[in-house]
Amino acid sequence: MSETSALPAKDLEHVFYPQSVAVLGTNRVVGTVPHDIFANILKDNFQGIVYPVSPKERSVAGVRAYKYVLDIPDPVDLAILVFPSTVCNLALEQCGQKGVKSAIIISAGFREIGAAGLKREEEIKAIAKKYNISFIGPNCLGVINTDPRSHLNASFARKMPEEGNIAFLSQSGALCTAVLDYAQAKHIGFSKFVSFGNKANINEIDLMRYLKNDPKTKVILVYLEEITDGIALMNAAREIISESGKPVLVLKSGRTREGAAAAASHTGSLAGSDEVCDAAFRQAGIIRCSTIEEMFHNAIALAYQPLPRGKRVAIITNAGGPGVLATDAAIKQNLDLAKFSDATLEIYKKSLPATANIKNPVDVIGDARADRYKVALGAALQDPGVDGVLVILTPQSMTDIENIAEEVCNTVGKFDKPAYASFMGEKDVAAGIDILQQRSIPHYILPESMCKAFASALFFKHHREMESEEVLRFPGIDKEKARGVLQRALAAGRNYLPEEESVRILEAYGLPTLPSGLATSRLEAISIAERIGFPVVMKVDSDDIVHKFDIKGVLVDIRTADAAGAGYDAILHNVEMAKPRARIKGIYVQKMVTSGEEVILGVKRDSSFGAVIMFGLGGLFVEVFRDVSFRVAPVGPRSASEMVREIRAYSMLAGARGKKPRDIRSVEECIQRLSALAVDFPEIKELDINPLIVNDEGGGCFVADARIML
Amino acid sequence: MDKSEIKTIVERVTAQILKVDPKEITPTANFSFDLGADSMQSIELIAAFEEEFDIQMDEQKAREVQTVEGAVEFIAGYLK
Repeated sequence: MSETSALPAKDLEHVFYPQSVAVLGTNRVVGTVPHDIFANILKDNFQGIVYPVSPKERSVAGVRAYKYVLDIPDPVDLAILVFPSTVCNLALEQCGQKGVKSAIIISAGFREIGAAGLKREEEIKAIAKKYNISFIGPNCLGVINTDPRSHLNASFARKMPEEGNIAFLSQSGALCTAVLDYAQAKHIGFSKFVSFGNKANINEIDLMRYLKNDPKTKVILVYLEEITDGIALMNAAREIISESGKPVLVLKSGRTREGAAAAASHTGSLAGSDEVCDAAFRQAGIIRCSTIEEMFHNAIALAYQPLPRGKRVAIITNAGGPGVLATDAAIKQNLDLAKFSDATLEIYKKSLPATANIKNPVDVIGDARADRYKVALGAALQDPGVDGVLVILTPQSMTDIENIAEEVCNTVGKFDKPAYASFMGEKDVAAGIDILQQRSIPHYILPESMCKAFASALFFKHHREMESEEVLRFPGIDKEKARGVLQRALAAGRNYLPEEESVRILEAYGLPTLPSGLATSRLEAISIAERIGFPVVMKVDSDDIVHKFDIKGVLVDIRTADAAGAGYDAILHNVEMAKPRARIKGIYVQKMVTSGEEVILGVKRDSSFGAVIMFGLGGLFVEVFRDVSFRVAPVGPRSASEMVREIRAYSMLAGARGKKPRDIRSVEECIQRLSALAVDFPEIKELDINPLIVNDEGGGCFVADARIML
Repeated sequence: MDKSEIKTIVERVTAQILKVDPKEITPTANFSFDLGADSMQSIELIAAFEEEFDIQMDEQKAREVQTVEGAVEFIAGYLK
């Protein structure tokens, strides 16, 4: 459950648009945080009133100071705390008494320093709750709002950024200053800029929801070091995309596999937190970025230009090599090279030199000047078969770089299609790049980055247009039967359910299982085998044995009654040798399926995102290639279909090399039923169906082995 | 040295280091919140008290002392 949703709505309007601000704990020492925050608010032309609160100064920067916030004669909308952490509680208490409803706590020395700091953080949270104060921080750089209506630089960043339509939210304060510097050099402006630090009260979800309705923000960027509530993050992103159409880009640091290695199931070991995060973000339509650079590459494409309608791109270049590089990059990103209309080709024939390549990529030749770029770009943007244009330039001696940049800007502005540019090089092209950046043409040093940004914009466009997915309810699910099995195991203190019990739970959820029985004697094993029909598989059933194959606890392809009897004895012997203390419930005799493709289905409980469903092809594809797909539950029919189709080995199921296609629909149904089970029973920590055997189309599929960890 | 003598010295040193009006230095005054000590001045205060009283204080514990009367009690503990 999200903590955010349990609390009353937080007051962010006064954080960004206060009429009056008090800086508590400021001083006169230039170059210190307490001083510079106050000085920044003053020098960056804040549109409201600012009050310094300083215990011993009569004035700060020429403005009359107050000893306590309570001494200020007028109301205060926003308090900014820069006191040492040890006395922030006293300052916040006075804010509460004064009736201040919003605060930014800049001071460090809280949760991030250990137990003593955590205690202080809990104390300020309690005070905030008592007085219904919403606050950002502690341990943050502050907040910037470039909207001229407020123009608040409540931060200790060196400079106020330009006004723009990108909002940036960051858990790291230090990263903020680097981002501001990077953005300034590229004329990237911001609408809102927030360092939210320890997020003890206002968190990224609150801020994202606020930005959804902020008319100054078109694109939302978030830098996160930890995901506290993954489901809340996914829901917030979905809400933003569907209600406001704004893209959400997240840079999540810490892409490690830590923790996955200790998992007991295949699913557990394959579903590392990073893989789950990737899948969850894609599912919610969040554009995940690996680096700050990639984040801004995507952000400028989304903030400056219309979304591409489709994947057909035209490449216009004055150099062959970069044109080929761009083509390769476009294809790698699943884009298509547009096929020009006859009208476009006619324009090119008339206006470009005979040596020019008028097919896509269009090579306007090394000596091209602005007029040639204008014709090539204009015709491509006008062509109904083109969804976007990628302009490439390399600096030759005759290339009028700045004029070309101006012409690109003028031409692109006339069409409702995206165009991005890559002026390759550095020094010679700098002035041209500056023109492009000032006039909001997304620019990339490398064509590869340009194509990647185009593909991200297209991903977002597709996601935005998708209808929200309805999760199916399957009739006949026997939830109580599954609950009974689970509760008996939990009551007995067991955290592992062997195959026989796991199968019963899966049966209750309508997953197709094979005829089987548990034999506790040699004769019973023969009897069960004869009843269900040969061939059969025989497996040891024990709470103490998770990996049956490893100790020769499984025998396959048993074809006669004699073999079934001998098999029973052999498995008991093998287990006795390998695990003499294991408590054996019996030998599980199961119908053997002799044909079909083996796939794996699984569930893992992720600490941030809850139940995660996994699908992959069995054997090497899982073990070696980690060729699996994930979705956060609940999984609906569309997601189940995507899960099956997005693995690299999908063609094996679809009917590669003349093989018949397998029954993919039955697998999709199993995924959804498994998702329903995982949602209904949070006590299931991990679950493997390995393998699920999939027959030819129309033949269904069967659970051949399963285990559940609680 | 009795507590009133300690208090007099603590008040004098505090006024000197923090450059505040001695009238502001009440027993319950908080060094940071009421008297404006920043982190550097807090360290200077500890050093000045050590020199004035010729004692060696546990710095970690000393930094947890927040008020004037708290400082008097803390220092008195070293002078027993």
